Amino acid sequence: MNIRKLAWKNLFRRKSRAVFTGLGIFLGIGTFVALASLTAQMEQAVQDKLDRFGANILITPRTEQLSLGFGDISLGGTQVAHSRLAAADEKAIRGIEMKERLRSVVPFFLTAADASGKNLVWMGVPATEIAAARPWWKISGNPIREKGEVLLGSEAAVALDKGPGGTVVSGGRAFRVAGVLHPTGEKEDGMVIAALGDVRSVAGNPGGVTFFEVAALCKDCPVEDIVAQIGGALPGARVSAIRQVVESRKAAVDQFRRLGIGVSAIVLAIGGLMVFVTVMGSVQERTREIGVLRAVGFRRKAILSLLFWETGWISLLSSASGALVGLAVALLVAPHFGVEQASVVTSPALLGVAIGMGLGLLGTIPPARRAAALSPTEAIRSL
Amino acid sequence: MDAFIRLENVSMLYGNNGTSAVALRDVSFSIGAGEYVVITGESGAGKSTLLTILGGLQVPSSGVVLMKGVDLSSLPADGLADFRRETIGFIFQAYHLLPYLTARENVMVPMSPLRASAREKAGRADTLLASVGLSGKEERLPSELSGGECQRVAIARALVHDPPVLLADEPTGNLDSSTGEQILDLFSGLHKSGKTVLMVTHNRANFFRATRSIRLRDGLVAEDDPLLSPRQAP
Repeated sequence: MNIRKLAWKNLFRRKSRAVFTGLGIFLGIGTFVALASLTAQMEQAVQDKLDRFGANILITPRTEQLSLGFGDISLGGTQVAHSRLAAADEKAIRGIEMKERLRSVVPFFLTAADASGKNLVWMGVPATEIAAARPWWKISGNPIREKGEVLLGSEAAVALDKGPGGTVVSGGRAFRVAGVLHPTGEKEDGMVIAALGDVRSVAGNPGGVTFFEVAALCKDCPVEDIVAQIGGALPGARVSAIRQVVESRKAAVDQFRRLGIGVSAIVLAIGGLMVFVTVMGSVQERTREIGVLRAVGFRRKAILSLLFWETGWISLLSSASGALVGLAVALLVAPHFGVEQASVVTSPALLGVAIGMGLGLLGTIPPARRAAALSPTEAIRSL
Repeated sequence: MDAFIRLENVSMLYGNNGTSAVALRDVSFSIGAGEYVVITGESGAGKSTLLTILGGLQVPSSGVVLMKGVDLSSLPADGLADFRRETIGFIFQAYHLLPYLTARENVMVPMSPLRASAREKAGRADTLLASVGLSGKEERLPSELSGGECQRVAIARALVHDPPVLLADEPTGNLDSSTGEQILDLFSGLHKSGKTVLMVTHNRANFFRATRSIRLRDGLVAEDDPLLSPRQAP
């Protein structure tokens, strides 16, 4: 018999009280672990989705606004590019120090050209990159699979009166309409989209690039660093992070985290309070027992130790079981929160057990101190 | 006989909401090592207060309590706890065994804070249980024992550190006369083995076993008489 065993035995004497004390910690840690684990998985899922969502860095030629006027008469202005982008620039972009962070580098080429008698803007993009570069496009018909095929923006399709299976003629070449885009509200609604090589040949500009879109994986790195490195590799280009995408990523992830922390804090506080109340009640109930222990020679430290061991056992068991249940719940519900591949995230469980132990012991401090300070006389009077 | 326990002008006042009650007034006496003293008196005479002061469970409002030459009021709380563990064995009227522990475990409770192997502690407990006639009942819970057996477990618990002094508060108060006799026989045996026994009691049977009787009345020592104990009898 030692204090540890004495504490353990006492738990079985008051099973319902022990269960009630542990219930607060169990629920608190279970909720914390479930939310933390779910948040971590959602964070990763959101990150993956946002990374898949498209580019977050745009590379265009550096331009300067040139004002034109004569005396008091303003004739407007024009954009003058310092230099043009070229297909070879893709190699320079992919050669930056943080190149492993670049998920995709997609060159775009825009030109105005004839399309079955109408002057429309043609957008050239590598056929294999279209799905990654514009994942939100919805197509009636098929995507571009090979050279000689085009997609029509919704307005362009109306203007040309063409649909999937139709033909668009430009510069003496016939292009088969593979599909028509659903309206996007963007400029591509009025464009003809084709493979990069096809548009370059229509424009007679074999290596032409209007701009690059870069998708960078920036979970652990600031996108500004990548922007700076690309800017260094392409001095004549204007490299800018699409802040909206970056910020929305952070905002979405932070929102999940804040929600998890908030709910967990409330549940944990309630759990801590339950421990405090039940242990305080237990001390009141066991005044006589504490008196007997003091009478047989228990020091104050031994009384403290006894109560801390009791709560320690409860905290360990309830927080460990809460953590396990929390992990299981997170695993089960993750698919309903947009997590495609649910996984076990162990770090919140370990943290949860540590917090549960801390919470239990913290809630025990005031009642344990009260018990230890209890005069043996007070206890003996109740004998 | 040298004074093993000495009380000098011990008074005890209990205060409550501005009113105070005197439990003991200038009580002075000495007890030699190996005496068997019964403390008697009406209800409220101060018997239990005297016992808790002698046991170092509370400090008197005034006066000095010396045990083995140590002034109990000079010891800090933990020092008193150590002193109690080493010097005093308490036996209560209602036994006060821990109901969730077996007889053996109850006897082992005072050894809980000590560093010793479980086997050593259990061995000591079994020896003591055997000495009070409870061999074979080590694994029983208090609820599975009779009143007399529970009191025997409580006596074994009090003896676990082999204290020189036993303080008993009405140890036969909850027992029938036959069982009470058996318990008193146990005390007689312990007294004969050299223990100093102080017992608060109303049981006249004790007067034939004890060596001295102290009668309290209204917090004062009303009578302090030597008795003819079996040891002293021809």
